[in-house]
Amino acid sequence: MTTFLQLMLNGLGKGAVFALLALGFVVIFKATEVVNFAHGSLVLFGGYLVLVTKDTVGWAAAAVIGIVSAGLLALAVERLLLARSRHADPFSLALLTIGVDVIITEEVVRRLGVSLPFIGDAWDAKPLQFAGVTLFRTHLVALGVAAVLITAFFLAFRYTTWGIALRAQAENPEAAALVGIRRSRVTASAWLIAGLLAGVAVLFIATQDFSGAGLSRGTHSIALAAFPAAIIGGLDSTAGAIVGGLAVGLVDALSTEYISFAFAKSAVFLVMLVVLVVRPAGLFGTRETTRV
Amino acid sequence: MRRLLFKAAAVALVLPLAACSTKGGAETNSTGVTDKEITLGVMADLSGPFKSLSTAITQGNELWAKDVNAAGGVCGRQIKLETVDHGYKADTAKTLYPQIEPKVLGFVQLTGSPVMAALGKNIEADKVTTTPASWSSELLNNPYAMIVGTTYDIEMIDGLSYLQEKGMLADGDSVGHIYVDGEYGANGLRGSKYYAEQHKLQLHDVKITSTDTDLTNVVTGLKGQGVKVILLTTTPKQTGSAAAANKALGLNVPILSNNPAFDPALLKSPAASALDKLYIVASTVPFSADIPKAKEIAQKYAAAGYKEPPNAGTPYGYAVGEVWGTVLKKACENKDLTRDGIHKAMQQTTSADTGDLVAALNFGTPGAPATRQVYVAQPDASAPGGTKYVQPLFEAEAAKAYKAPHEGQ
Repeated sequence: MTTFLQLMLNGLGKGAVFALLALGFVVIFKATEVVNFAHGSLVLFGGYLVLVTKDTVGWAAAAVIGIVSAGLLALAVERLLLARSRHADPFSLALLTIGVDVIITEEVVRRLGVSLPFIGDAWDAKPLQFAGVTLFRTHLVALGVAAVLITAFFLAFRYTTWGIALRAQAENPEAAALVGIRRSRVTASAWLIAGLLAGVAVLFIATQDFSGAGLSRGTHSIALAAFPAAIIGGLDSTAGAIVGGLAVGLVDALSTEYISFAFAKSAVFLVMLVVLVVRPAGLFGTRETTRV
Repeated sequence: MRRLLFKAAAVALVLPLAACSTKGGAETNSTGVTDKEITLGVMADLSGPFKSLSTAITQGNELWAKDVNAAGGVCGRQIKLETVDHGYKADTAKTLYPQIEPKVLGFVQLTGSPVMAALGKNIEADKVTTTPASWSSELLNNPYAMIVGTTYDIEMIDGLSYLQEKGMLADGDSVGHIYVDGEYGANGLRGSKYYAEQHKLQLHDVKITSTDTDLTNVVTGLKGQGVKVILLTTTPKQTGSAAAANKALGLNVPILSNNPAFDPALLKSPAASALDKLYIVASTVPFSADIPKAKEIAQKYAAAGYKEPPNAGTPYGYAVGEVWGTVLKKACENKDLTRDGIHKAMQQTTSADTGDLVAALNFGTPGAPATRQVYVAQPDASAPGGTKYVQPLFEAEAAKAYKAPHEGQ
C-alpha cells in the first residue's frame, strides 16, 4: 500500500510538470492551430540561460532571466519566421517549427560541457518525509505553480479581452478579423506565453527529483514526452492539459512497478492511442462538426 | 642458356625483396608502423554518457605516450595516438572505424560495449589487437580483445562478497539489480546471478536503457520488495538518481556499482549527499590512491594542465599504456611489429606490471579475464579524483571458482 501511495505521489508530481508543458502546446494550438514542435528547444534555451547566469546573479534572478528569455525566443520565432508565412498551412508551419527545434537544440547541447548542470537549486533534492511516504519538494512546488498558472490561464481565457479575442480567433479567424481582432497580436502573445511556460517547466525538469539528470539532450526529450499529454487531454483544451499531464505521470509511475520499466515508456503512447480511437479530439478537445 | 641465366638473375634480384616483407618485423614497416613512429588508435566517447570516464582514460593514454616518447620511445620509434570520438554510438563508430583502422597498429582504447559489439567482427577480421574500455567477459570470445583489468561479472561477485564479509548482506536476503540493456548490463547481471545462486539471494533485476535517467519509480518498487542492497550496472547519471532516491525514500541501503557507474561530477550534483552508501568495485586504483605510481600520475596530470576534473580513468588509461608498452617491447624482441606479431606478443604476456595501478595481469589463458582482483572504493569529495579506496586489492573465493562465459573454449 505504501508503495502504491508513493508511486501515486511520484506520478502526480511529475504529472504537474507535464501539465505545464502540455499547456504550452495548447496555448499555441488554440490561437493558431499550429503544433509547436520547437517547445523542447524553448525549454532547453530557458534552462541554458539559467545555467550561465546563476553564478553571477544568483539562482532566483537567473530563473527569471531564463523564463523571460524562453518567452522572448518564442516571440522572436513567431515574429521573424512564422508571421512571415501567415497564409501558410498550419501543417507547413508545424514542419517549420521542427527545423527551428533542431537548430536551437543542437546549439544548446553543443555549448553544454562535461558538468551535470542541475538548475532547480531552490527545491531540488530536499525531500520531506510524511507518514511513511516521501514528498519530493520539486514535485510539491511544481504542483503549486501548475495549479496557480493553469487557474490563471483558465480565468484569462474566459474573462479577459485577450482570452475572448483568442477564443474568437480559434473559433472563426475571418469573423474575428472582421470585428477588429488583431490576429498578429493574439498569435504573438500566445507564443510569448508558451515560451514563458517552457522557461518555468525547465526549472523542474533539470532536477535530481524529476529527471535525475541535469540540463542535457534528455531535457528536450522529456519536454517532447509532454506531447502525448496534450493529445490525451485535447490539443485545444486547458483542462485537458491538466488531465493529460497527470495521466502521463501516473501511467508512467504505475506501469513501471506493476508491469515493467521498459513497458512504461510505451504505456503512455498506448493510452494516447486508445484515447484517440475512442475520442479523436482528445478527452476534452473540441469535436469538429461539419454541416452536411 | 642465356635465358636460364637471365631467369636465375631475376630470381636473385627478387629474393632480397621478398625478405623485406612485413614479417621482417622490427626492421620493416607494417600497418601503423613506420621507421620513426608507431600509431595506436583511440576510439573514445568524448561526448556521450561516459564522456568523463573516457576523456580521463584518453588523458591517461596521452600521459603514457608522452612519458614513453620522452624516454626514447619503443623499439626506436615514437608513439603517436590517433583519437576519434564516437559519442557511445555504434553507428558513428562504424563510420569512423574504416577511416582510422588503416592508420593504426592497434587500439589502445575502444570505449563502450555497444561499440565493441558493433566492431568485434571487423577487429577480428583485421587482426587488430584492441583494448576495450569495456569490461564485459563476453568480449573475451574475440581473441584480439585485450581487457586490462577484471570483468563486470567478477566485479559484482567480488563486490557482493565484500558486502557480505562486512555484514551488510546475509544469505537469503533480497537484492535489487538495476542494469542497462546491452552487454555491459547483462555481464554485470551474470555476476550477480551467479552470486545470488551461491548464497540463495532473492534477486530482483530491473532492465533500463542507457538514456533513462530517473530511477525514482524503480527504487520505489525495490523498496517495496524489501531489498537489502541495490546493485548498479548503469551510467553515472543513473547512479546519481538511484542513490538520491535510495536516500529520499528512506530506503538507505548500501549500493554496489560496477566501475563505469561512478563519475566524480556526481559529487557536485544534488545527489552528492546521498553517495555515502555507494561502493564502487574496480580493478583500477582510484586517482588519489596512496601508491607511488598513482601519485606520479597525479602530478603529471596536474602538470599537463587538463581542464576536466580527474577520475579513476586517468590511472587506468596510463596502465593500459604500460601494458601496451610491455606487449610492444615483446613484439620488438620477437622482431615482429606486425598485427600478428602484436597478437602473439599479447598471448606471451603473462605478467604485465603496471606498478599496481591495475592488478597483475595474465593474458596467457584465452577466454579468461586477465585478473580477478579488485579494489573497493567509496566516493570522497575531498580526494582528488573523487574516490578513496576502502578495500585494497583482493580476490573473493567465489570469484576464483567462477567460470567466465568463454573460458576454456
